[in-house]
Amino acid sequence: MNKYTRKWLFRVLVLAVLALLPQVIQARYFLHLVVMAGIFTILTLSWNLLAGYTGLLNLGHAAFYGIGAYTSSLLAMLLGISPWIGLFAGGLTAAFFGFLLGFPALRLSGPYLAITTIGFAEILRMVAINWVDLTRGSLGLSGIPLLTPIRLGALNIKFYFERDYYYVVLAAVLVTLFCVRRLTQSEFGVSLQALRDDELGAQSVGINTARYKIAVFTISAFFAGFAGALFAHYIRLVSPEMMALHTTFDTLTMAMIGGLGTMAGPILGAVVITFLSEWLRYVEDLFKVDIRLVIYGLMLILTILFMREGIAGLLRELANKLESSRLGRKKESEP
Amino acid sequence: MESLFLQQTLNGLIVGSVYSLIAIGLTMVFGVMKISNFAHGDYAMVGAYVAVFVLAWIPGWLGWVGSVIAAAAAVGLLGIITERIVFRPLMTRWTDIDTIMVSIGLFILLENLAQLFFGATPRMLEDPFSGRVVDLGVVSTSMLRILCFGFSAVTIVLLQIFLNRTRVGVAIQATSQNRFAAQLMGININFVYTITFAVGAALAGIGGVLYGTLFAVYPLMGAMPTLKAFVVTILGGMGNIRGAIFGGFILGVAEVLGGNYIAMEFKNAIGFFIIILVLLVKPTGLFGQKEGT
Repeated sequence: MNKYTRKWLFRVLVLAVLALLPQVIQARYFLHLVVMAGIFTILTLSWNLLAGYTGLLNLGHAAFYGIGAYTSSLLAMLLGISPWIGLFAGGLTAAFFGFLLGFPALRLSGPYLAITTIGFAEILRMVAINWVDLTRGSLGLSGIPLLTPIRLGALNIKFYFERDYYYVVLAAVLVTLFCVRRLTQSEFGVSLQALRDDELGAQSVGINTARYKIAVFTISAFFAGFAGALFAHYIRLVSPEMMALHTTFDTLTMAMIGGLGTMAGPILGAVVITFLSEWLRYVEDLFKVDIRLVIYGLMLILTILFMREGIAGLLRELANKLESSRLGRKKESEP
Repeated sequence: MESLFLQQTLNGLIVGSVYSLIAIGLTMVFGVMKISNFAHGDYAMVGAYVAVFVLAWIPGWLGWVGSVIAAAAAVGLLGIITERIVFRPLMTRWTDIDTIMVSIGLFILLENLAQLFFGATPRMLEDPFSGRVVDLGVVSTSMLRILCFGFSAVTIVLLQIFLNRTRVGVAIQATSQNRFAAQLMGININFVYTITFAVGAALAGIGGVLYGTLFAVYPLMGAMPTLKAFVVTILGGMGNIRGAIFGGFILGVAEVLGGNYIAMEFKNAIGFFIIILVLLVKPTGLFGQKEGT
């Protein structure tokens, strides 16, 4: 069995397990956590595209998430537009803002970009708080419609339970993953990484860095907005807090702990943090202490200092070690 | 109408002096080490809590003076510790993203540790003058606010003396201008890093006591000083101490006037509007020079 078939076999196996998961484990709370982890995965993948692959530290990412959520919710609530269209409308609106934010990002880097993007998100959050007629202010929007049923001939698929959303989110994660993977492995993605590692060098070999930066901001914002819209139609509650700095910090923590600039990192980070949070909440209740964020702060620092590639890097190293010891044994057994 | 304008400007200058004080520490650390420390506002938070405890122990204005000194010492020490453990290992890596993110980790850690130990309830720092108001003709202000302004001004002047008249101060400035040349001149760069971080954090600690006096003391208060200090620093050009002093006053006055004449709800966003506009025109900030090495 060569490496290629093994890779595909592994993928099919993972897909099969994921597809059957809700049939095996039917606990609604567990499925709820998996759905949330899926939404965070999309959000973190989109952030990773900017920070991990292009080196653009966007600390206003929560704004895109919020824009997607508000757009889709308001379209459904005020105009009665189907949430299915809303998901894409939310993504596209966020993409438009990402496109706009791409322009200042052309000339800024490091702390300048970080503060400008925070400013962008904070201004939007204040708009959401103060435009009470449209957004109901800090109360937020509630009673957002669920995803509408789909009719396929005689089959009527309703979206009501966690299990139903599980499949929607699974599909969304897979599509996002596919897109991000194609993007990063294409000439576009390689150019982005060149831009990250040496902007002047990238320009000197003819990469139009300006166009690439704006493009990656637009694409990243689209997926973040899509994730926000998905969240809105699942949780059915959207508030300006979605756009607050701590949402971006959560995303950043997931990406970093999972492995910045890797494909598996955002998935690992989102799943680990989502489930760890629940477990820690249980511990907190037991001992009556708020230690969850203390631990995340500590984990973030330790990851950057000692484990720059996060869990993904750790797993890769482990796999390499296994591989090399296997090859070593093979050589020994040869006559 | 005119007196209201003057009154608001005075309030803006007083708050602005505190912004300057906190921002100077941030800009010094950036100038010398190229570190953008998002946990800087948490040094201010820790300073404010030091004041809470000192004031509970020694009441009155003596306690107030004592708490400023204690805050400077304690937070200066915290600055040294965090520099050694968290930032020093990254100095060889030289990526903006790593240092910014590690400081975000430190920010999350410090504010939640504070919440764990001190509880979430906001506290007020006791006013040693029990709210005495000073009438200055057209405008009036409280004794406490004058004291805050006085403390900021004195600290800033002392810092200038330290930077220009002492060997260490000159070494800090030299390192800020050109790290490699400074090293060639026999400056112990690691010592300069430690001192810079200690002084920068101590300034934030003092600023935190004043900030806590003007507003309130609670574990999550650090986010605002961090963001404001960054706005001020960018406005004044990162690494530029004089720029930070002016930037602080500009932000203080702009916030108060903008809040009053444009929209109160967007008071905290005015700084962001200003820097987005400034950066669009001049990416190195209002007083920023071309970046050196």
